[in-house]
Amino acid sequence: MTGLLRRAPLALPLLGVAVALALTTDSFLTGGNLENVLVAAAIVAIPGLAMTLCLAMGEFDLSIGSTVSLAGVVCCSAIIDGVPAPLAMLLALAAGALVGLANGLVVTKLGVTPFIATLATLVIVRGLSLAYTDGHDQIVSSATLKYLVGGRPLGVPMPILLAVVAGALAWWTVNRTRFGRWVCAVGSHREAARVSGLPVDRIRIAVYVLVGMSGGLWGLLISSQLQKGNGQLGLGFELDAITVVVLGGTALLGGRASVLGTVLGAVLIETIRNGLNLLNTPPAYQRISVGLLLVTALALLALRRTPAPAPAVREVTA
Amino acid sequence: MTTTDTRTAAPEPVLADRAERPSLGRLWDTWGITAILLLLLALTPLVAPGFLQLENLQSVLRESAYLGIVAAGMTFAIAAGAFDLSVGGQLALVSVVTLLAYGAGGTPAAVGAAIATGLACGLVNAGLITKLRVPPFVATLGTLFVFRGVAYILTQDGPQTLPYDQIGSPFVKIGGLNVAGVPLPFVIMLVVYAAAWVLLRRTATGRRVLAYGSSPAAARFCGISAGRIQLFVFALVGLSVGIAALTYITRVWTADGSAQDGFELKVIAAVVLGGTSLKGGKATLIGTFSAVLLVSVLNDVLVGQGVPSAYQRIVLGCVLIVALTVDGLRTRFAVPGSLRRAVAGLAGRSTDPDSA
Repeated sequence: MTGLLRRAPLALPLLGVAVALALTTDSFLTGGNLENVLVAAAIVAIPGLAMTLCLAMGEFDLSIGSTVSLAGVVCCSAIIDGVPAPLAMLLALAAGALVGLANGLVVTKLGVTPFIATLATLVIVRGLSLAYTDGHDQIVSSATLKYLVGGRPLGVPMPILLAVVAGALAWWTVNRTRFGRWVCAVGSHREAARVSGLPVDRIRIAVYVLVGMSGGLWGLLISSQLQKGNGQLGLGFELDAITVVVLGGTALLGGRASVLGTVLGAVLIETIRNGLNLLNTPPAYQRISVGLLLVTALALLALRRTPAPAPAVREVTA
Repeated sequence: MTTTDTRTAAPEPVLADRAERPSLGRLWDTWGITAILLLLLALTPLVAPGFLQLENLQSVLRESAYLGIVAAGMTFAIAAGAFDLSVGGQLALVSVVTLLAYGAGGTPAAVGAAIATGLACGLVNAGLITKLRVPPFVATLGTLFVFRGVAYILTQDGPQTLPYDQIGSPFVKIGGLNVAGVPLPFVIMLVVYAAAWVLLRRTATGRRVLAYGSSPAAARFCGISAGRIQLFVFALVGLSVGIAALTYITRVWTADGSAQDGFELKVIAAVVLGGTSLKGGKATLIGTFSAVLLVSVLNDVLVGQGVPSAYQRIVLGCVLIVALTVDGLRTRFAVPGSLRRAVAGLAGRSTDPDSA
């Protein structure tokens, strides 16, 4: 139990919130509601897992929210134009990968700070999806696309299945592969990694492509839920993805990744959102709670970890 | 504007930069974005004949004021190696509180409330960062949600607005008045930049901020208190938001929790575009000032030409990348001053992706 707590400090607050909700609401502990929470958590966890690698590398990708809208727009407009749905979904993933590739190239080859580079692509990519749709909804009704969120192979909702596969892959990558170690090495000390002969640029590009593709998948999931794509989807999602990772304990300064933490972070956030909904809290309070949660979690982690004043400022600029 | 310009051209404090000798690279750091702005201003009348009309110029300046004022404060935060993601939430909250205060106590109450609320927001951030040791990125990301949330709660019954019968009040004049043809918000922005420049370049506090930004560890050994620097810069950002909100709210007349969504990214983009390094320790207020105007002018031209807002975003994003690429190439390849090397470096690097 203590071992689990050390590796996943979020388990305790998660348990606390769940018990509190079970006691204060009638509907939290129903099967249907728990499934809703897990599906919502799975949908955030998938991009969160890719973002975990990015943060472990000491960098951010702010453009992921725009990638969500681009992927939705690409998929839905392709379906409307008569492209078979599976191909349209692949196109959307490819669009996400392209955004990631663009991010990676700008960051590595042009030497632009990731924060600003991905901020710029955030603006550009959203501009692209708004321009392409001319601000209109691309409404589709495709059983294949719908299956992505609504399907239940083996009785398990598809997003949960996808998240489990993604989580397993992410855990394996971080803990058992050369690539995972490389990513953490780049995050701990990029120059040292370069001098040791790691292909730093290629590693960084690969991670950005991964994040882009996960953003594409996120967009597909959202579009599958709504059965439409438009340029407004995914506004502010980049902060959601980063929040989940940071809550999970992946260090902002890079060098460490906690896959389990990210998954628990996603479940915790969605449990709290669900609870606030069940308690009929207005959306305004929900924003406050998410913010407070983030700050509290980080304050607790920081207080526990650093008895001496740390140069906290430099860590973020990465 | 001209007085601040010429004075910053003088050599900057040594600790901000390794090279003391003036060089093309160092000149570019301070004046590059200004040069681009002037070029843009020279070309604009060719593509947009309406741009030079007095009313249009006034509206550009009026529009840039609130972004510019916050960007001045943010320059200090970034110079100290941090940034404040909560400014959008702060602006929404301060605007809402200011309108509430105006309804209750008129102009003095509104002005007092704006400054006090802005400062309070800054102090909340500073407290989280210095007392609870939350990294600035996360602390201000969290308070972004919190400030916006509070603003939402205060406007649950609908956005706060200035009633139209208040059009003659001194408070509304803050946003509407022209001083000798120059919009008052822009005058306020000039005063803020002059004060900020003095603070950054002519006071020990300004140097401490830069010293802390370039190396927190070294600064600590020199007896500079990290907590005080962070308290100072985040309070300063809050104060700048307070002032900016006065010019913002008297121009748009309405505010709720969603006011200026994404503002934080615009502010940070302007500061970095201006040449202040995200790594800390290097700041240029002239650069920030020019970058703010550059973004406003570009926006105005695109809007004036009837470019759809979707394409405006694409253009602005590309401008950001191009401007930052130049800076990135410089810091990556150039020994300070050697532009030739940077170009050679660019040529060398660009073959890489092909061979890979």
